[in-house]
Parts: sequence; C-alpha cells; structure tokens
Amino acid sequence: MRSSNPHIIVIGAGFTGCATAHDLALRGFRVTVLERGDIANGTSGRTHGLLHSGARYCVTDQDAAIECIEENILLRKIAAQCIEYNGGLFVALDEEDEAYGTRFEQGAQKCGIPIERLTGNQARKKEPNLTPKTRLAYSVPDGVFDPLRLAMAFAATAKKNGAEFLTYHEVTGFDFDGKGNIREVSAINRHTNEKIKFTADMVINATGAWAGLVARLAGVTVDVIPTPGVMVCYDQRLVQRVINRLCEPDDGDILIPQRRMVVIGTTSFEVEDVDYIPVTPAQVELMHQKAAELVPAVAATHQRGAYMSARPLIGSTTLGRSLSRTFKCYHHQETDGIGGLVTITGGKATTCRVMAEKTVDLVCNLMGVSRSCETREVVLDSYRDYYTHS
Amino acid sequence: MTNQSSPKRFIQWFDPRNRQVGSWAFILNRITALGLTLYLFLHLIALGNLARGPEAYNNFIALAKTPLIKFGEMLVIAAGIIHGLNGIRIALTSFGIGVRHQRALFIAVMVLSITGILIFTISMVRH
Amino acid sequence: MNQPLWKITVNVLRQKGPTDKPHFQSFPLEIHPDEYVLDAIEKIWAFQDRSLTFRHACHHATCGACGMRVNGKEKLTCITSLHTVVKNNGVLKIEPLRNFPVLSDLVVDMGHLYRQTEEADFQQVVPLEAAQLPYEITPNRTPNEPYERLVDCIECGLCVSACPAAFTSTDYRGPAALAAIQQGIAFAPNEVLFDLADHENGVWRCHSAFECTEVCPSNVDPGWRIMNLRRRVIHHRISRVFKKSQKVSRP
Ligand SMILES: Cc1cc2nc3c(=O)[nH]c(=O)nc-3n(C[C@H](O)[C@H](O)[C@H](O)COP(=O)(O)OP(=O)(O)OC[C@H]3O[C@@H](n4cnc5c(N)ncnc54)[C@H](O)[C@@H]3O)c2cc1C
Ligand code: SF4
Ligand code: FES
Repeated sequence: MRSSNPHIIVIGAGFTGCATAHDLALRGFRVTVLERGDIANGTSGRTHGLLHSGARYCVTDQDAAIECIEENILLRKIAAQCIEYNGGLFVALDEEDEAYGTRFEQGAQKCGIPIERLTGNQARKKEPNLTPKTRLAYSVPDGVFDPLRLAMAFAATAKKNGAEFLTYHEVTGFDFDGKGNIREVSAINRHTNEKIKFTADMVINATGAWAGLVARLAGVTVDVIPTPGVMVCYDQRLVQRVINRLCEPDDGDILIPQRRMVVIGTTSFEVEDVDYIPVTPAQVELMHQKAAELVPAVAATHQRGAYMSARPLIGSTTLGRSLSRTFKCYHHQETDGIGGLVTITGGKATTCRVMAEKTVDLVCNLMGVSRSCETREVVLDSYRDYYTHS
Repeated sequence: MTNQSSPKRFIQWFDPRNRQVGSWAFILNRITALGLTLYLFLHLIALGNLARGPEAYNNFIALAKTPLIKFGEMLVIAAGIIHGLNGIRIALTSFGIGVRHQRALFIAVMVLSITGILIFTISMVRH
Repeated sequence: MNQPLWKITVNVLRQKGPTDKPHFQSFPLEIHPDEYVLDAIEKIWAFQDRSLTFRHACHHATCGACGMRVNGKEKLTCITSLHTVVKNNGVLKIEPLRNFPVLSDLVVDMGHLYRQTEEADFQQVVPLEAAQLPYEITPNRTPNEPYERLVDCIECGLCVSACPAAFTSTDYRGPAALAAIQQGIAFAPNEVLFDLADHENGVWRCHSAFECTEVCPSNVDPGWRIMNLRRRVIHHRISRVFKKSQKVSRP
C-alpha cells in the first residue's frame, strides 16, 4: 500500500523542508529529504530565535502579523519542548516611540495580538535591567526557540511517520522525462563522494536563500534576494523576556534571552553569494550600541560571539526590509512549464508550519490526493527521536 | 562505537597533551596503581623465595641493601603516598566535598606527597 | 578595528567514508583574526574545497553542533575566536571529536549522546531556577514570575570527547548524560534515574579527571554534577536499606 503512494523529494532540511516533510508524511506520502549539510545548517540554524507574536509587524504588515500570532499559539502547543515562552516587551524610549504606540495598539488589536500597556516603572519592575529611560511598554506573547531542536523536532516526527532524511546529500541536477517533467534528481553523498539518482513523482525545492540556485539547476528562475542580517550574543541572561524597541522595524532593535545569553539582532542588507558572508566589525558595533540603548548592562557584558545569516526574501525591485515577509510558493508547471517541481521560499521560522501546510495542500491538489492537514494538532516527538527513529 | 582502536585508546589514557590538572591526577593515579601492583607481585615472589632456607634469606637481605633496590623501594613509597593521598582527594570529591576546588586539592596532595617523600628519602639515606 | 587579514594554515583531519584512512590536509587561508574557527572552516568549504564536511547550525553556542578538536583541545568552534588559538602565519589543527564514530571529515555521529540524554528524560526547557547550578549565587532580584528557560547543556559532546573514562569503555554513560540525570533527580527524584546512575557504567565509572568541566563551553559543570549525583545515589541507597529494614521489622 505504502509503496504505491506518491514519492516526494524535498530539497533542504531547514525549517521549511523539515515542516514540509512532516506534513507530507502525515498525509501518507513517501518522503525523501535531501540536505547537503546537517539539519538546519543554512539560515534556519542561524536565526535570531524569536518566536514572533506578530506584534513587530502589526503596523507595517498585518498579513504577516496575523499569520505570526496564529502560528505562535500553534507552535507553543506542538513544540513546547524547545521554546522559552516568557513573553516580550515593546519599549518606548522617546516621544517618537510613544507616538508609534497608538498605531501599535490599534494594529495589535486588529491582528488579534493580546497586548498589555505598562508604565515605564511597571516595565522596569518586570525587567530590572531595562533602561531607566523607558517611558512606556507593551507586553506581548513573544517566545524564544532553539533553532536546531525546533527543526529536529519536525524531522523526528516526520521520520517516525516514514520520511527518510538523507543529510550530506547535495542536489546537483535534475533529469526530465522529455515532456518537461522532472523524473530524477541527481545528488552527491558528501560523506562518500558517491553520485546517486532518485526518482520522484514530485520535487519540492525548500532551499531558502539557495532556492534560486537550485531552481536554476532545473532551468527555471526564482527571484530570491538573499538579505543577510548580523546578530551578536552576550554572556549573560540580562533579561527574561524578548525586548523590542517600540518603533518601525529597524536595525538592532530586538534583544532576546536564550539559555544563559542574550542575542541582539539584526540588520538587513543584500548580497549575491550566500555561502560565506563575513560579519564586519562595524555591524557588530552597531548592534552593540543599539542593544545598550535598551539594556545598558549590555555595555559591560562579555561578548560571546557574532554571526550572520541570509533571509530568503522574495520579490523583485523593492528593497529588502519593506518587502512583505510572507512566503511564496511557485508551481513551476504554471510559471515555467516545468512539471513536478514546486519551490517554497520566503517566510519565517515562526510560520514554517503554515508554509508547509499550504505547499502540501498544493501538492495534494496536483496529485489528486485528498487528505487534509493534521499538523495543527499533532504534538511533535522529542527532537532526539531524530536519532532513534530509523 | 568509537573511531579508535583499543591500543590507541589505552595510550590516550597516558597522553597529557592538552589536558588539565585533573587529568594529571588521573594519569598519576594510574601509573602509581600499576607500579604498586607490579611491586606487590615482586614482593610475593620474593617472599616465596625466602621460604627456601637461611642461605636464600641472607642472599636476599644482601640484595635488598643494594642502592638500586633501595631506590626501587623509595619509588614504591612515593607511589604509595601519592596514590593514597590522591585517593583521599577522590573520596572527598565523590562525597561532593571540595569538587569545585579539586585543582587546589590536587596541588595540596602533591605538596604533601613531595614533603612526605623527601622525609622518607632523608631517613632512608641516613640509615 | 580595521586589522589586516591574517595568513594562517589550517590542517584538517579528513576522511571520506568509514574505510578511508584519516589524513591531514592543509589549507592556506586569509582571514580576519576576530572571526571564529567555524568561519574559517566554512570559508574553506565555500572557496577552496566543496567536499569538506562539518556540522554547524546556530553559530552562537546554543545548538551544540559545532564541537571539534582545535589544536587537540575540544572547542565549540562557533565561539572560538581565531586569535585565541592561532597566531598570524601560524598553523591551526582541526580534528573531529573523539569517542564518537566519524561519518566523514569533521562530522561525527552524535546519536549515542542524544539517545542517552533522551533515556534520562532530560528536558530542554525548565523553570528558570532549575536551570542554574545550585552553587551559583542567584541574582538578588528574584524573579517574581514563573519564567522558564532552555537548560545550559547543548549536547555538544565536548565533555565526552575529553573524558579519559570514555576512551576505555564505550558503554560508559558519559559526563553529559550523567549531568542530565543529576539535573533530573535534583528536579524530581525517581527510581528510573537512580537505576541509570547507580550502575557500573553510571556514576561509578567516572575517574575524577574533571576534563568534562574543563571543556564544557556552557557552564554545565558536569564534573560537579557527577560528584553530586554520587552523593545522591549513596544517600538513596542508604535510605532504601533503611526503608526495607523498617518494613521487615514491622509485625
Ligand atoms: C538574520 C535573520 C534573523 C531571523 N530571525 C528570525 C526570527 O527571529 N524568527 C523567525 O521566525 N524567523 C527569523 N528569520 C527567518 C527564518 O530564519 C528563515 O525564514 C528560515 O530559517 C528559512 O528556512 P528555510 O528552511 O526556508 O531555509 P534554510 O534554513 O536556509 O534551508 C535551506 C536548506 O537547503 C539546503 N540546500 C541548499 N542548497 C542545496 C542543495 N543543492 N542540495 C541540498 N540541499 C541544499 C541548505 O543547506 C539549507 O539547509 C530570520 C532570518 C534571518 C536571516
Ligand atoms: S555537559 Fe557541557 S560539554 Fe557536555 S554536552 Fe553538555 S554542554 Fe556539551
Ligand atoms: S554552531 Fe551551534 S553551538 Fe556552535
């Protein structure tokens, strides 16, 4: 029975790939995930780690905000094993921020994000390390996740339901059946340098910032602009909640606690080569200053590390930050006349489940399979089961 | 399970490169333990020989007075002191006492051992 | 801040497939001394040799994927600045962790460690107070709300690689898993955990070299935890005997 089910190859084991494999496996597909590195070695591992409440986008991008709050609540339910759920604060430091507060309140209400208004003193009582300049603050239901473990939890559950994960397998090309449909995927096993071919009924390209490069292997164009951001982490857990600056999304305006650290992020600029993006001292310095504005104790705290990763922003001509951050799903049959290939890119870690749901809905539709999505209800297995489920 | 063959792993026991004070204690404890065990064997063999009569006994006493054997005895005493004192350190830490000061404890053990060994050496040389 | 790039040589221990013989390959590299060892490895992969394999994910010490031996010492490469381990024109030696099977190059199979922490039912998210080491001075601002946080142990395996007892016995539970058991017992004592700990391959195999604590990048202090666990195990044994004799003595 199982072997007659359609075989889907997912390329990329970041959040998007792992969540997609999980959804596919639950709906009874045979799934093989090909990932050139280990789980979450791309952008997913290197995220800031903020489980968005959506509040950050409730003024500028309400679609994204609504998606975030819905997924925030769902992930809290299905992936509690790797989320610190202590909420967050949006903090106003000057008049301009305060003025933004009114729009913020309206936006949050419209998007259904539960917020609470606090005076500067109330906020500082909750977070003593907050700057004395705090004028007012809003509490929001933000959280913090462990990136590798979140991805592994999706992968573990997918594995239990039959999905196969082939890490260190880099996709190098596609073969067609002569009618413009993809039939085979070529890959190289990087552990052994062996070349292998996989047949598939459908291929899902979930390679994030690399989606354009992988799509090019099939001769199609996908417009992703890699827009990296830098993050800096510090040696002490100076706050318990996520601290956001109450203003339009800007550089270095979020500080998150994680384990024994705080992590500050992030910037946004555009690059062409995604495989190696150096962190420049100037960016680290900028992060440092911005964070010290919110939490002055940062200035005296030992810096633990700095890192960088590239968002898979979709879009054409407009600049990085102002693009909508919701995801896009390309069915290449429609856009390029290439059958059997779907690309899913964009989005956020917080929304990976719904991205997977929409993509698999599309795949079901294309393959004439009618099974509805169950990922809202299924609580994920322990991430460590990635190593126990064979 | 591991990527190394057993002889190599055994040698790693005694490889102090890149290791810390705690491993020095570990290595010393292993060496002294091996030394003491070896000594116990030799000791038993020697004792067995003694039962062969007065001549054997005299020969043995003469041998026991040579400097080489004296030096050997000193090593045995040194090993005994180090192993014993370090054993006390390990027993203490095993009961959760002074775990965070295990380095300082080890240094104390070594200082005490060296003093003890010196005292023994001096008294041995004197006799 | 605008230091010139350093020229270093990186010697990487390489191996493709289980039958290949491990051998060093050197890569000359120009890199900023403030970058991290992991950046150097990623740079080699990106520009010199696409076949080089290594594990990494978070790049900021929260996931535990990037443990390697740097000049013979276990390090979390994502937070080890190059200038702390190599000089300009110097040589850097990179090897995979010990006591784990090598899958290729710098990639080891961490399954064993993950299965053991799972057996200890080690929760990653715990109440804030439970995440701290008991001997740590808690900040005087006691949290007035039930905060939770991810624990310190990131399952990086550095402690296992550095442990001399783990060299000899592959069945040894190892420092990370024992530290996990200690945390479980401290939080909620239970028989299953005591049985895992009170075993020849449990707390009693530790030989007090304290290398685990030395290399742990994440303040877990496994050495302290193993010793603390020993005390708890002894305590537990005594109280068990006591309970039994009580039962027997009752009419
Ligand atoms: C700086 C920054 C901060 C962010 N912070 C947050 C945050 O706080 N909260 C949040 O919700 N979101 C955040 N995001 C967004 C989020 O991290 C990304 O949207 C998400 O990780 C994308 O996941 P992905 O699976 O699509 O891509 P990736 O994680 O990049 O996965 C793609 C995978 O494809 C693999 N791959 C590439 N080429 C091939 C090939 N040829 N063969 C096989 N495999 C291949 C790669 O190795 C990679 O693992 C942040 C993004 C950035 C850049
Ligand atoms: S105890 Fe420390 S060294 Fe060992 S796995 Fe955990 S974090 Fe790594
Ligand atoms: S890459 Fe995650 S700990 Fe180093």
